[in-house]
Amino acid sequence: MEFLELFSWMKVSDVATLSIVLLIGMFILLAIGMPLGFASAFLAVAVIVMKFGPEISFRNFGSGPLSVLAQAVYRQMTNYVLISIPLFIFMAALLERSGIARDMYNSLNMWLSRTRGGIAIVTSLMAVIMAAMSGIIGGEVVLLGLIALPQMLRLGYNQNLAIGTICASGSLGTMIPPSIVLIFYGLVTETSIKALFTASFLPGFILAGLIMLYIFIRTRINPSLAPLPEAAPDDPEGLEKGLRFIGFVAKFALYVMSVVLLRTVLLTITGQNNPEILDEPLRWGMVSDLPFQIGFVVAMVVIMRFLVGKERTAEGWEMGRGLVAPIIVIGVVLGSIYMGITGITEAAGMGVIAVFVLGVIRREMSFEVVWDALVRTLKSTGTIIWVTIGAAALAAAYTLAGGPTYVANMIVAADLPTMGIILTMMVIFLIMGMFMDWVGIVLLIMPVFLPIVLKLPVEELGYFGATLEPRQVAIWFGVVFCMNMQVSFLSPPFGPAAFYLKSVAPAHITLTQIFRGFLPFICLQLIALSLLVVWPELVTLLLD
Amino acid sequence: MKTHSLWLGSLRQPVRKLMISFITLTVVMFGVILVSNLFSEEFLGVHEMIRPEGRPMVGIMLFLLAGTMLTSSIYLSDTVESIEGHPQGFFDILSLVVSRAAMILTALTVLVMFYEVVLRYLFSAPTLWANELSLWMASFIFLFAGQYAMQQRSHIRIYVIYDLMPRWMQKAADVLSCFLIIFFAFALVWGNYADALRRFTRMETFGTAWDPPIPGIVKPAILIIIVLVAIQAVSNLIADWNKAPESHSPMDDIDQEEIEQIRRTLEK
Repeated sequence: MEFLELFSWMKVSDVATLSIVLLIGMFILLAIGMPLGFASAFLAVAVIVMKFGPEISFRNFGSGPLSVLAQAVYRQMTNYVLISIPLFIFMAALLERSGIARDMYNSLNMWLSRTRGGIAIVTSLMAVIMAAMSGIIGGEVVLLGLIALPQMLRLGYNQNLAIGTICASGSLGTMIPPSIVLIFYGLVTETSIKALFTASFLPGFILAGLIMLYIFIRTRINPSLAPLPEAAPDDPEGLEKGLRFIGFVAKFALYVMSVVLLRTVLLTITGQNNPEILDEPLRWGMVSDLPFQIGFVVAMVVIMRFLVGKERTAEGWEMGRGLVAPIIVIGVVLGSIYMGITGITEAAGMGVIAVFVLGVIRREMSFEVVWDALVRTLKSTGTIIWVTIGAAALAAAYTLAGGPTYVANMIVAADLPTMGIILTMMVIFLIMGMFMDWVGIVLLIMPVFLPIVLKLPVEELGYFGATLEPRQVAIWFGVVFCMNMQVSFLSPPFGPAAFYLKSVAPAHITLTQIFRGFLPFICLQLIALSLLVVWPELVTLLLD
Repeated sequence: MKTHSLWLGSLRQPVRKLMISFITLTVVMFGVILVSNLFSEEFLGVHEMIRPEGRPMVGIMLFLLAGTMLTSSIYLSDTVESIEGHPQGFFDILSLVVSRAAMILTALTVLVMFYEVVLRYLFSAPTLWANELSLWMASFIFLFAGQYAMQQRSHIRIYVIYDLMPRWMQKAADVLSCFLIIFFAFALVWGNYADALRRFTRMETFGTAWDPPIPGIVKPAILIIIVLVAIQAVSNLIADWNKAPESHSPMDDIDQEEIEQIRRTLEK
């Protein structure tokens, strides 16, 4: 193969040069507008050729070191967890087209209409509930923008407050489980996704809490930011409302427990919960659980009848009904994962079924709606899949060339302060997040960054709280990364939340105004991020 | 959904009829198999479904399933949703057909998972095949989605510098991109042809109880579809050659039609 010898200069013997060529190549290809997935895929080939030289790479048709690439692609194509991505997207697409979100908003608004800043807080609460239903953003910001923004502007809410609330809360979708960002992080780094989800609950709620606290405090200091609506004549007052709320909760709990009780009875009748044939007891399904379950049902009936009263309960149920569907969806998705019924992938599938069935009950589903959702699902999946293919190939090639180990060793050997390295990484994430989609960052940067983090001395991570266990470092870093990406959804110039909101906001609201509205909320996100960085224990509190 | 035909033209109605007959026959055949399982000695389950040798009923069933998939995909590719744009390149139709197959497979995957969860949780009788069947279907969903995304040009790109370039430079950049994609496809085939061929001829299986030939099918499929994607890239390049210089903003990614639909849902 004399022809190939002409190219033998392409072989690069040391990893340092290879890494630099790779980095420069990536910059150039992205700058000329090459799609991220293809740029990575091509560079994967380039890395193999540099590592082994063109003569070895192309000596025999049909085999050789280039086979690593298709191996890596094949591993992703047959990755069971990756199936959850199209399913979660499908579920979110169906959810968008149902009126579940609108009814939930109406219900929440009923309870909080007399609170100062009520609609803003309702918006945040609603965003948290929607975040627990699905794991992607975009649709969430659009829905909130269509439902809550007109209300807030009509009531004379401060525009910046309204905009910031909607977009910052709407971005929570990828912070509160299930989260598509954490799924990808788990895929790339081979971390338990269930553990990542558990770990991100608390940080997610901290961020949501910060947002709500901010709204609460600012509207208390300056009430003109959030004028109260006129009281509706038949709107019940404080205590009465509280009683109705108890009535609603009691009725809902009654329904849930009745279903559980029914299952226990059925299992008992069919003999499936016989302790002798089971390896471990079924949760909430054994004969010994019956007294508690029956007692609970009786207690709820007593509360409804005697504490709250029949009429108030009925009114409360009417006011709160819009919350039932979202809670069912959350119960199906997160319940499937945490009750140990299914894994992430099947939970996503069950979520699709739940949303579909609710939609059928609400008479909102048709062939067109489902088909349209499928088209959107496939389009988004295709976009993500290209980056996955490209990055998987590149990561495999670069690992084969010894890249990540080399970089990790170099940084660890440089003896830099541990938190200095972490902070630098945070800054890199924030800057990259301004220009690049999260999926590109997680797929391309994580294979390099995480090995470095794992090599850092674990006792030097953070300033407060107990030291992480070594096995928790990857989980902590994933949650920190996820929080970082929260900022990227809002950060100018390309923060996607701004563009989603712009597409549904009244025409007079400009992009600049939208980004200005984000500023305090970006600060809140950065506060939450610094909390996680200096106090890593926050992430692990819920882990066992 | 619009009713006018995209590419089938006068064939639209015949294809529709063919699709309906395939669906009907598939359902009938499914019923026949269920009934024959009750009376016949030989049980035909999902395990037998991927082993048609010596089982004519399975052969017929597989043929009908394939026919249903093919005709439905072709029929459904005859209309495009508003977000998909009008196909212009010479290769677009094929990509649309495979995208329809992937959409059907996505819905099927959900159903298979539901079936599995119901059997496992309510009847404590998990299947041996549902996970692997989902995996098998999903690999094709991903590959087809890749080809579809190529046809739709829905890629993650950074336009900051690209938009500043004059049109001739943009064209040069597009040509380079396209060339590099072809080179990637070439390298992938170069490095894996022998391996894929070996697995395909052996019909390498997954090594589980149901034992579907996932490596034997998916490995060659990856190479084939990467080549198709490269052809699609050339098709895109030709179709976009004479377009005016474009500038991009993240607003382009937002689908106004979708927002209209959500708005209508909310106003109901």
